Amino acid sequence: MQLLTAITIGALFGIGVFQLLRRNILRSAIGLIIIGNAVNLFLLSTGVYEGAAAAYSTATEQRSDALPQALVLTAIVIGMGAVAFVLALLIVISTRYHTADMDEVDELKH
Amino acid sequence: MMDTYLVTLPILIPFAAAALGLLLRNKHTLQGLWSLGAALVSFAITGVLLWRVWQAGEAIVFQGGAWPAPFGISLVGDLLGAFMSFMAQLILVMGIIYALGSRDETIGYPTFYPLVLMMGVGLTGVMLTGDIFNMYVFIELLLVSGAVLTAISDNRSGPEAAYKYFYLSLLASWFLLFAIGSLYVEYGTLNMADLAARVAAEPNAPLLPVAIVLLFAAFMVKSAVFPFHFWQPDLYMAAPTAVAAILSAAVSKVGVYGFLRMTTLLFVEQADMIRTALIVFGILGILYGGFSAIGTKNAKRMLAYSSMAQIGFILVAIGWGTTGALVAALVFIFNHALIKSALMMLTGVVASHTENRSAAFRSVTGLGRSMPYAGGLFLLGGLALSGIPPTNGFFSKMLLFGSGIAAEEYVSLAIVGVASVLTLVYTTTAFMRIWWQAPEADKSASRLPDRIQAPTLLIALVLALGIWAEPLIALAQATANWLGDPTLYISAVLGA
Repeated sequence: MQLLTAITIGALFGIGVFQLLRRNILRSAIGLIIIGNAVNLFLLSTGVYEGAAAAYSTATEQRSDALPQALVLTAIVIGMGAVAFVLALLIVISTRYHTADMDEVDELKH
Repeated sequence: MMDTYLVTLPILIPFAAAALGLLLRNKHTLQGLWSLGAALVSFAITGVLLWRVWQAGEAIVFQGGAWPAPFGISLVGDLLGAFMSFMAQLILVMGIIYALGSRDETIGYPTFYPLVLMMGVGLTGVMLTGDIFNMYVFIELLLVSGAVLTAISDNRSGPEAAYKYFYLSLLASWFLLFAIGSLYVEYGTLNMADLAARVAAEPNAPLLPVAIVLLFAAFMVKSAVFPFHFWQPDLYMAAPTAVAAILSAAVSKVGVYGFLRMTTLLFVEQADMIRTALIVFGILGILYGGFSAIGTKNAKRMLAYSSMAQIGFILVAIGWGTTGALVAALVFIFNHALIKSALMMLTGVVASHTENRSAAFRSVTGLGRSMPYAGGLFLLGGLALSGIPPTNGFFSKMLLFGSGIAAEEYVSLAIVGVASVLTLVYTTTAFMRIWWQAPEADKSASRLPDRIQAPTLLIALVLALGIWAEPLIALAQATANWLGDPTLYISAVLGA
């Protein structure tokens, strides 16, 4: 399970970086979102293998660390807001330029 | 401790005022005055905090929810945090004063002032928090409000610049989050004091270098240090003037603050490596920023590149790392905030004269001739930026060079010395173009310009600190001494 998580995080990062480098502005935004998910998964995995039982249970076996779960929850919420704003900006940009090609969004160069 | 409200109120007051300010969305002037009042109160409280911490010589720590130190979230009003948030709140007040006198349409949006206040919350929070994840949250708050304020700018390229800024900074924030995760895996804590103690106790953890590099990269993006700077000129050019002043003067210091904390608290044993990198990137930034500022065609872009160079000076001083150099860095941080926001606002005043509110030199050349008073202020600001007496910039540069000589860093000092001439070149060029040259025939001022109180106040402070610099230097000296011993911070928070 640990190996699988590690491979998943790596794969998500790889896909994310690949998409990030595309010229299509929407694809690069999706790459950003995928990297965000990779980071969230990494953050969750920092505490998830410490114990078997849920953090709040009364079980006697070792409980899992609740803090990374709280962190990842915060990070997901912030990420959601951030992604919503990215997409809103993309709508503004794409209606103004009628293109998804990054090289044609070039008003700042003039 | 009794005074913990001094640490919480500078964050809570702008936060509450932003929320309540939204209720005043139909009464625009009242909303602006309300925001100014909140910013002033919170600025005053930060001033009291700074004074108390300075006089007492120990930090004021607030433990969130009364949880003992490493378990809850601590807010730490130590000298560095109080100093930096005092600077940030001062710039915030000035930004709001400018916004009140500005005639941009953006200012009229009901969310403008609440967002500016949220920037203040983010800035103060970053500098006062003692919890590294909490710091991420405040950085994100700062980032979102800054980007939204740029996106709603009058400037047509606002959304594009905001997208560029937000995209890169979000990526950097995620690197920061990754670094936080790595540190948590290795040391099992998020409290900065606890983390510092544990890193010192076990400096060979395998993920520690990863965390240091990622933190370093994240702070580099936040402060627009040389190879990660390319969002910055666009952002400052497109943002509304009041926002650009806050961004360039205060928000750009977040990364600098991070570097200070990294080298003096979190990673003291690894600090030599970080310092070397800071000197290298700082010098690159000074040279690149200086030459780009000379070559650029827009006054606000020029100031943005100049920010890059000035941040470079600060990084070099942090990189030298001696107590004297830290004093120079702190004085430089404070003075640069005053000078850069004043220059940004003065450029904005001139640009607000033009039809499309552009600060491009081809629009603003000669426009200043009808505004000799603004020109005088700009000249003083330019002299201050270049470090010429009787302005406060002189003391920044003097302390910087003095500390470089004392640290015997002659190679970097020589480059810094030569490169600081570039500052004089681009500030005088801009002054000549805007206030000296004759305007083109068909160009004339076509709009009512923004009001000029805020830059007047700032330049007055610049002059006052140039004539009577002693309190600031004494404060910086006390702060640098405090930074010299990380155990002071650790024991203040952990109560050991």
